[in-house]
Amino acid sequence: MSIVELNGISKAYGEKIAVNDLSLRIEPGTMFGLLGPNGAGKTSAIRMMIGMTLPDSGSVSLFGKPFHRNLLPRLGYLPEERGLYKRMKVLEQLVFLGQLRGLDAALATRRAKNWCERLQIAGSLDSVTQSLSKGMQQKIQFIATLLHEPDLIIMDEPFSGLDPVNAILLRDVLLEIKAEGRAILLSTHRMEQAEQLCDAICLINAGRGVLSGSVREIKSRYQRDRVLIEYEGDGTFLQHPAIASFQTFAGHTEFQMKDGADAQLILRTAVENAKIYRFDLMEPSLEEIFVQTVGGKFDE
Amino acid sequence: MNNIWLIAKREYLERVRSKAYRISTLVIPLAMAGIFGIGAVSGRLSGSRSIVVTSDDPALAASAATELSEKRTSGASGPGARNSGDGESPFHVEVRPGASPADISALNQEVESKQIDGYLWLKTKPGAVQPEAIFVSAGSADAIGQGRMTDAIERAIVHNELLKHGEAPVDIQTLLKPVDLKTMEVKAGQLVPADSGKRFWGAYAMAFTLYFAVVFYGVNVAQSVAAEKTSRVFEVLLASVEPETLMTGKLLGVAAAGLTQMAIWIAALLYFSATSMASTLMEGGLAAYGVTPIQLVFLFVYFILGFFFYSALSAAIGAAVNQESDVQQFNMLIVLPQVIGIVMIVYVLRNPGAWPVVLLSLFPPVTHIVMMLRIAAMTVPWWQLGLSVVIMLASIRALLWLASRIYRVGILMYGKQATVPEIMRWIRYK
Repeated sequence: MSIVELNGISKAYGEKIAVNDLSLRIEPGTMFGLLGPNGAGKTSAIRMMIGMTLPDSGSVSLFGKPFHRNLLPRLGYLPEERGLYKRMKVLEQLVFLGQLRGLDAALATRRAKNWCERLQIAGSLDSVTQSLSKGMQQKIQFIATLLHEPDLIIMDEPFSGLDPVNAILLRDVLLEIKAEGRAILLSTHRMEQAEQLCDAICLINAGRGVLSGSVREIKSRYQRDRVLIEYEGDGTFLQHPAIASFQTFAGHTEFQMKDGADAQLILRTAVENAKIYRFDLMEPSLEEIFVQTVGGKFDE
Repeated sequence: MNNIWLIAKREYLERVRSKAYRISTLVIPLAMAGIFGIGAVSGRLSGSRSIVVTSDDPALAASAATELSEKRTSGASGPGARNSGDGESPFHVEVRPGASPADISALNQEVESKQIDGYLWLKTKPGAVQPEAIFVSAGSADAIGQGRMTDAIERAIVHNELLKHGEAPVDIQTLLKPVDLKTMEVKAGQLVPADSGKRFWGAYAMAFTLYFAVVFYGVNVAQSVAAEKTSRVFEVLLASVEPETLMTGKLLGVAAAGLTQMAIWIAALLYFSATSMASTLMEGGLAAYGVTPIQLVFLFVYFILGFFFYSALSAAIGAAVNQESDVQQFNMLIVLPQVIGIVMIVYVLRNPGAWPVVLLSLFPPVTHIVMMLRIAAMTVPWWQLGLSVVIMLASIRALLWLASRIYRVGILMYGKQATVPEIMRWIRYK
């Protein structure tokens, strides 16, 4: 049973098509990356997934059932732009949000305190939210998302603005949750992050899903045609007919092979001319795959 | 249902705990007392103006002076009443016969040097009964003083003419004695005294309380929806509760905060009216102002109705704008319709049973204000009260529906100010 199943959902706002015939599946115990540049339709897709908006066409299933609001208590959502009541105290805020998701006040209080202890913000339980740093507020919202122990956790850019120490703290929590068999949807425009954490991804661009599947499987679909080489001596081998282009960096050189070229042949030529310290046939990064797939530049 | 309660409770506590709430609880009644106090007190303050009456007819000058310094009891003391200044004469009068050019220029100097506040110059004209009456002062005479002065001059002329015709002074006094007009009203077949002046103030105060409270809390709803939209809190909330729940909870919480505030005001008023200070300041207590317990109940009822009518609109505005500060440009939508009710106050109070007023009191945007005024001015038939509540409830229901359609789409729209055609489209989204 898939935790989430989107079948050809589309949504238009007036003239603008936000999501166009998008399908994906998220399995239990996986971290799923929803990737794409800003404005690609990630947030619109999430909103349909959690019933904030209805798709114009297509269907949404959660936990193996057609979407119904009574399934919402089983999911936790951390929106991209952090939203907390500024004037509420931290503990009050967490308990309020926990209660809205069906916890009783006592249980919500106990869990909130435990989480604050673990994420090292226990000293701020009685502080007014707006007096805390951005990073602290992010942790509070992170806790609010997890307080009711949802089976599906949807996080939109959860690490943005966090320092590396705290990012690792939250990442470890997410990995732990995944190990418990719960599903996590990570929406991000940072490919290297997704590459590190996610088991499966769906790449979207301009509202359309352009690539989806497990990260391993996607990468194996793309041939290894980039080589990192460190050498000393004659560099004329870089003019080899099988090399399409090359770039020289401070300590190494990278080259792109032509389609169907044999890396072993190039290596042989290189060994004859220069002293080789390193010859690395690199697997393509998700970012490169995306650029190849949509043929555009991928960044912010 | 549980979530509506949770959200309402949060909204209520956030408001009641805020500094702004405590301040407004204190300041609004003080401001009201100030506004009405100034009106009531200014009449008394202007009372001791010293003026001179001069005329080439000494008898006319003397009787004009007598009339001006006469004590008057006058029932009507509200706005619009012609004679004011309860009892005490507003003038301290001195007679100076003569009125030669030299006298007049001396008087002019006295006015300029502020030795006197003004002088009344009655110039007889040969062959005419009516003299030419001129009042000279440093500033313009206020309306109340003018009415009083005209009355006094008219009486003095009649007094003089009757004397000339040989009437006995005692008879003239009896004849010209001011009439004491008693105002009564019929209540359940009984005649009861009705002090229309004080009732006026009572009705005024209640209408203004309603107006202030509905505007204040209506605008408050729009601001807090816009604040939630800007801070994106609702995104978290919408993942758990429906937009309608969110909106309803908010409106209930804000309404409860408003009701609490009004209850505090009314409790304070009841407490104050029982003290001895009140009995000197407010002669006859609250009842003399036409404020009865049943009216206080209606005050709550019409606050709730007025509040929900405008705050539904307000929630939609808050959801449609892009940031908190944009709310201001739409506040007119909440203020203006109610101002219609406020500017109609005098008309409504004078003609509480006239059909245009009855229709107005059934027109939802002003029902709360106009009906409250009518209740103060007359015994409104039960069917009209019932009908007004039914019409209000129906239009609130329709507005809430409309507002929730705008709310659920608008609150997810960022970036630019929504146009009216866009908002119309939102209503049709599924």
